[in-house]
Amino acid sequence: MTKIGIEVHVQLNTKSKVFCSCSTKQSDEPNSNVCEICCGFPGSKPVLNKEAFEKALKIALALGCRINKETFFSRKSYFYPDLPKNFQITQYESPIGENGKYMSIRIRRIHLEEDPGALIHKGSYCLVDYNRSGIPLVEIVTEPDFKNAKEAREFLRKLITDLSYLDVYDKKSEFGLKADLNISTTGAKVEIKNVTGLKDIEDALVYEEERQKDEIPRKNETRGWNSEKGITFLQRTKESEDDYGYITETDLPLIEIGNKLLNQIKESIPELSEEKSERFTSDYKLNEKDAKVLANNKKLAELFEKVAEKVNPDIAAKWIIRDLMNQLNYHKKSLNEIEIKAESMIDLLKLFEEKKITDNTAKQVMINMITKKNFMPKKYIEDNNLIMKSDDSQIEKWCKEAIKETKKAVEDYKNGNEKSLNFVVGKVMQLSNKTANPDAVRKILVKLIRK
Amino acid sequence: MKAVEYVEKIKSGELSAVETTKAVIKEIKKLNDYNYFNTISESLALELAERADKNPKGRLAGLPVSLKDDLCIKGVETTCSSNILKGYKPTFNASVVEKLINEGAVIIGKTNQDTFGFGSFNVNTDYKIPKNPLDTTRVTGGSSGGAAGFTALTKFPHVAIGESTGGSIAAPCSFCGVTGMTPTYGLVSRYGLIDYANSLDKIGPIAKNVEDLELVLDVIKGNDKKDSTSLNEDLKNDNKVKKIGLIKETLNVDPKIKDLVLKKLNETGIKYDIVSLPTITKSSLSSYYIIAMAEASTNLAKYCGMRYGQEEKVNLPFNEYFSNIRTKNFNKEIKRRIILGTFTRMAGYRDAFYLKAMKVRTLVIEEYKKTFKKYDLLVSPTMPIIAPKFSEVNKLKPKDHYMMDIMTVGPNLAGIPHISLNAGTYNKMPVGIMFMGDYLNEKKLFNIGNGLQDN
Repeated sequence: MTKIGIEVHVQLNTKSKVFCSCSTKQSDEPNSNVCEICCGFPGSKPVLNKEAFEKALKIALALGCRINKETFFSRKSYFYPDLPKNFQITQYESPIGENGKYMSIRIRRIHLEEDPGALIHKGSYCLVDYNRSGIPLVEIVTEPDFKNAKEAREFLRKLITDLSYLDVYDKKSEFGLKADLNISTTGAKVEIKNVTGLKDIEDALVYEEERQKDEIPRKNETRGWNSEKGITFLQRTKESEDDYGYITETDLPLIEIGNKLLNQIKESIPELSEEKSERFTSDYKLNEKDAKVLANNKKLAELFEKVAEKVNPDIAAKWIIRDLMNQLNYHKKSLNEIEIKAESMIDLLKLFEEKKITDNTAKQVMINMITKKNFMPKKYIEDNNLIMKSDDSQIEKWCKEAIKETKKAVEDYKNGNEKSLNFVVGKVMQLSNKTANPDAVRKILVKLIRK
Repeated sequence: MKAVEYVEKIKSGELSAVETTKAVIKEIKKLNDYNYFNTISESLALELAERADKNPKGRLAGLPVSLKDDLCIKGVETTCSSNILKGYKPTFNASVVEKLINEGAVIIGKTNQDTFGFGSFNVNTDYKIPKNPLDTTRVTGGSSGGAAGFTALTKFPHVAIGESTGGSIAAPCSFCGVTGMTPTYGLVSRYGLIDYANSLDKIGPIAKNVEDLELVLDVIKGNDKKDSTSLNEDLKNDNKVKKIGLIKETLNVDPKIKDLVLKKLNETGIKYDIVSLPTITKSSLSSYYIIAMAEASTNLAKYCGMRYGQEEKVNLPFNEYFSNIRTKNFNKEIKRRIILGTFTRMAGYRDAFYLKAMKVRTLVIEEYKKTFKKYDLLVSPTMPIIAPKFSEVNKLKPKDHYMMDIMTVGPNLAGIPHISLNAGTYNKMPVGIMFMGDYLNEKKLFNIGNGLQDN
């Protein structure tokens, strides 16, 4: 039976690094956001970033962990060029949180640590960028409770959503999520180290599950993941556990988590995706599927709730899930790249709800909202005279013209082909620049043709 | 001349800081054969001296101050007496250096020490070994050997900044006949102090007299946001010493040393009892060396020829390159401590050594706490012997070296303040007496010291 346990490393979205005041921006010039502390120069000392600690605590609480009232940092020793001190400041004996549960998966521990620098391989040599060194990482370790890759994927997706609700993680940085994967099927335990990004994590697990059917591992082994080729490869077999010679990091004093702080952080935890989707079904009477789609994306959920205050929730949900997401997919854009203002959405959907614009017009406006910056739907609709026309005499004019131009379809309809009427309706819409009230058009067309 | 008197004369214009500085630097060069200085920061010193003459405002205006070579000065070579850091010029000042400069001190240079503080005789240095100011065939003691030696010999007002992990201020003070204060752990910021063992390292002054210690400690102490272990509390004001405890187990030394210590103690005229401190005297040394080496072995990992210090052309895989640099540039004592320290924290040994040592440390602290409920101060000889000859030291095994710290490791392990004063001479060599106080009770130590020094 397959058993999977994962160790997820999440970069926290703090402004400054975990033990110094350098910026956490990684996009800058290599080695520009560095100082004596994150480069481990002799004599420098770490000072804990309170924001990072509180965010880690928030995660531990949100994932149902028991909080260690006294927690401290340790040194994990190993030599590697990306690790300035050749030890990593992390937590060992007393992590912030232990024994949690999330999506029915047991969480073994959650702790705070520093990210190493980044190695950049250039053919025969290698460069080191320490901009990443000291970025706060939270490591979330699960028990081996996943039975397959799909479960792990769903867990991680939900986790990422909830971390963004907690405002501790910036979803934009795909590389902010890394994992070590432990997977055993029929043989010994295999660890796949350092897999970056959600998709690769899924792919690596699926690959490894398949691979182990053919090559049953006899010894515990550590494998790497080749993202380009989509395969895992053997790094080394393990006879015993790694020995990092942990000792206490005595440059950082013991942290006592008082009830005041604990309550304060607890209160700061917002509604997470699970509760949110339940509330969407009960409060807005959405179906379960739509409620989940919305709740599983912070931006969508926020947009929906704002819009649903002013517009019928059914219309809001349908337009956000169906039309907005379809258009985004069609234009190959992600929600993070564009700025959709709730006000614009409300303006648009209110007009639609009040039957002042047609379905077609609304769609067309939505495309503009996605592709144009600072686009104002109401103004656009007014400027382009797109308000729905229900004036019978005007519609009758368009209908008469349409009948003239679609003689064959009209004949077919008369001969009993009901569907042919759609073609004539389409013609009217075209003539009216999509503004004719479709119900009125139908009624008038039928009347005119039957005369 | 005492520092306070000297600073007054600088302020009144009676003396010139530049002239004093030039004279001190000339003296350092003249004493070159004693090997007290690793680096003379001549241009920095003259710049600071000029500043002091122009604007003699600080409490240390124009005072020559030397720094142990494990304290970072921006742009001045800082090596901890180790080859691995040869040529290394820090990019920042230690907080202590900032404070000294802000009060007008003139930083004259970096003093010799055992590499990274690893030793009690200052013979483990990659520079030339410093010689005892009173007998050049003998050691200065360590690890702050250059600091104590120069303090003893200089004819000018001067305070040395030393550092103690397990006795590195008290030991050389005892051997060189000067006085030194190892303050409460956390009283002086360690920011910019190159670590030996983070939970034990303390910066403190070495001087010819107690007033100078007091003055300089007052300047360098105080909370520092850059060092999270730096204390928020200030020194306790009570300086009255009513009762002293003489530690029974520390009297098992050369009777001549014991007699001198007792004689000095009697001079205080303060009531004392002989107290037994079984845990401290029996277990401190082993607990100390395990913790110190475990921490040191992680602190030394960063020296690998990649970012600073010694480097070579990289033409090996990184781990071989690191090993090569470390093999070539670490001396035998450093390697010994890395091996021992790493061993004590490895899986399977960690419980029996590192974690047990941490528990013992708690017991040691508890025994002190209990004792200080009855006594204002404790007292013992500083060192079990007088400064040995180089020829004698060469015959000692590593364990005999470590045994030298038997008196000083207790207060260092607990992080309590202690002062070493000269108790007289034996075979023309100085003998130290050490008083220890409870946390932040430095004023009691200064008080007793002021009463005891020969004026």
